[in-house]
Amino acid sequence: MKITTLLGSAALALVLGASGAFAQSAIRIGHLADYSGGTSDVGTPYGQAVADTFAWINKNGGINGTKVDIETVDYGYQVPRAIAQYKKWTGSDKVAAIMGWGTADTEALTGFVAQDKIPFLSASYAGQLTDPTGAAGKAKAAPYNFFYGPSYSDALRAELTWAAEDWKAKGKSGAPKFVHMGANHPYPNAPKAAGEALAKELGFEVLPPLVFALTPGDYSAQCLSLKSSGANYAYLGNTAASNISVIKACKTAGVDVQFLGNVWGMDENAAKAAGNSADGVVFPLRTPVAWGGSAPGMKTVQEISKISDPSGNVYRPVHYIAGVCSAMYMKEALEWAAKNGGVTGENVKKAFYQKKDWVPAGLEGVCNPSTWTDKDHRGTLTVDLYRSKVSGATDGDLNDLMKKGTIKLEKVKTIQLPRKAEWLGW
Amino acid sequence: MASSLIPAGDFRTSYAVDTTIFPTVTSRNFAIAGVVLCALAPLVLNDYWMSMLIAIGIYGIAALGLNVLLGFTGQISIGHAAFFLFGAFTSAYLSSKMGVPAFFAIPLSGLATALVGLIFGLPAARLKGLYLAIATLAAQYILLDFFARAEWFSGGSVPATAEPFSIFGYTFTGDHQYFYVVLAYVVVSFLLVTNMMRTRDGRALIAVRDHYLSAEIMGINLTYYRTLSFGIAAFFAGIGGALYAHYQLVVSYEGFGIERSVLFLAMVIIGGLGSVMGTLMGTAFVVLLPEAMEWLSAALRGGVIDQTLALKNNITFVREIAIGVIIIAFLVFEPDGLAHRWHQIKAYWKFYPFSH
Repeated sequence: MKITTLLGSAALALVLGASGAFAQSAIRIGHLADYSGGTSDVGTPYGQAVADTFAWINKNGGINGTKVDIETVDYGYQVPRAIAQYKKWTGSDKVAAIMGWGTADTEALTGFVAQDKIPFLSASYAGQLTDPTGAAGKAKAAPYNFFYGPSYSDALRAELTWAAEDWKAKGKSGAPKFVHMGANHPYPNAPKAAGEALAKELGFEVLPPLVFALTPGDYSAQCLSLKSSGANYAYLGNTAASNISVIKACKTAGVDVQFLGNVWGMDENAAKAAGNSADGVVFPLRTPVAWGGSAPGMKTVQEISKISDPSGNVYRPVHYIAGVCSAMYMKEALEWAAKNGGVTGENVKKAFYQKKDWVPAGLEGVCNPSTWTDKDHRGTLTVDLYRSKVSGATDGDLNDLMKKGTIKLEKVKTIQLPRKAEWLGW
Repeated sequence: MASSLIPAGDFRTSYAVDTTIFPTVTSRNFAIAGVVLCALAPLVLNDYWMSMLIAIGIYGIAALGLNVLLGFTGQISIGHAAFFLFGAFTSAYLSSKMGVPAFFAIPLSGLATALVGLIFGLPAARLKGLYLAIATLAAQYILLDFFARAEWFSGGSVPATAEPFSIFGYTFTGDHQYFYVVLAYVVVSFLLVTNMMRTRDGRALIAVRDHYLSAEIMGINLTYYRTLSFGIAAFFAGIGGALYAHYQLVVSYEGFGIERSVLFLAMVIIGGLGSVMGTLMGTAFVVLLPEAMEWLSAALRGGVIDQTLALKNNITFVREIAIGVIIIAFLVFEPDGLAHRWHQIKAYWKFYPFSH
């Protein structure tokens, strides 16, 4: 320990010396990404989008002329790494904000970011992060946590709202049966209580939850239980790889159920991997459009994409676009803070409260209008529901499959949830 | 183990000398100097380094418990992370829901975890080796499932919150202040275990490890000592977990799977089975190795090697592989752990230039 202490101070002196020159000229922010860990399948497009967007911002004038010095770190979805990295960012030369990633890092750092007053824009959309004051009483206050998009709970509420209408539209009688499926883990469980409460309110019969692991596996048993339970709507709470195993197994078992995905549980890559089993899964997007969709802001997204793909041919999954939106909100918050007292954590936090129905400039029609207030961090309650359509074999390149229309994302409905006070924080 | 340090002809002529904690005056002075140095560390180190030291301290205490079980008693547990997490949740629960000050919540959760450890240690009375390993593996899964379901206790999908550590109305905030809490616990825990190994119970544990049949013939109650050792291991895991809870202020069961239990095993094995000092070295190694690899990969990024091999994002895979390779190489070339190497280095300098 004595040796490490000595080595530490030596290394520290080096680090301080090296970063000292940078500090004045650029705005420092941190970026936690997962390119190699358990959530890398969705972490890669999201993280790439954040990195691309800030590179694009720097190319186009930065923040009021100041460059953003963003440090992207692949923490491999490991909590200790996230904490160590965070301490590095807050140690000597504090970052102004952090672009975070998943449940692992966001939860581990909630206490620290509140203490150190560093805005943390995560891609974890857990409901408890939306309560900045703790007034809802569901969890401790999370004053410095932000995210763009509907919370996990609100996304499920929207899906259930749609499912209730769908049941009526199909002219079926009796109460539809709803089942929550997922691992016993904070991520799949996050929207469980909210979903089951609303399902009861909407007249669903709520079945006991079905458990399946976060990793891919053989889930025939779960599918047989699903079949015998007679569920009509099943929510898949896990991430894509595990969900694919289930929908494939259920297709084989001949289960007739409408699967409802979650925001990280289904996307173009998952549809490709699942093949025709993925046909018909309804899932929420954080943006009104997918890649190449008709929106005035799509041009900006395509420009940003060229940072890491100069050819402009690569198809970007839904997470990429959500990542661009998140990064652009951060950019405008940094801009406001720079003009109003300097880029400090507290000012960046204040910046998020400045606009109503805020859409980052240049991304009209791509990002849903969002409003954050100091009492309510539910940026948006708009949920765009899509259905995956798979018509044919899905081997080959994703670019071609999307171009040929073998895999299509078809808009189902945009659900506008009411901003109910009793739905805050869970 | 420390024989290389003791001068030739130095025979122990009294019980007091035989049972001393520190074999030589120098080793005692070194230990004291180490603690004093650590106590001064917050004056010079930044948050990052403080957080590293805190992590070494917290995991070190938990690993110490595992070393009592694995290194001193010869039992095995691959559910240590679950006990660690149990301590964390208990302390969070006691401090935020029951209003128990963190000062008392930490030792209390140590005791609570010890009780749980005793229950899961019961199979140890009957099982040995691989069978015991599987039985303790069950502890890992049972406890994790308990955390997932017992929302009143763990908060379920919402992370549990823990109150900050305070004493006489003074709250320890930030790494620089909390470090002293951890340091105090490290000193007390390591002294406790070193001391325990001199007592009748400690010697009984070692006897159980070395030859359980002989131990039993000598009148040592195997069931009692095997189970006790599980209780001790869980106690220190609980203390470590509680310290972790009041450091982080939130406790989530994310990231406490089997891989974390294996990391605890790695700390003990790398440090040296049956070495108190080695436990701390092993923990420091396991905590700092990923960081060191991170500095390396950060230095590599964008460099010549990166460009010629077109590594880009794959550099993190190289980093993870390197960590694995280093641990394997370590076990091959240093099977007795860091503590053994440390003694060899000391012996080398002691006999310099006449090393053999």
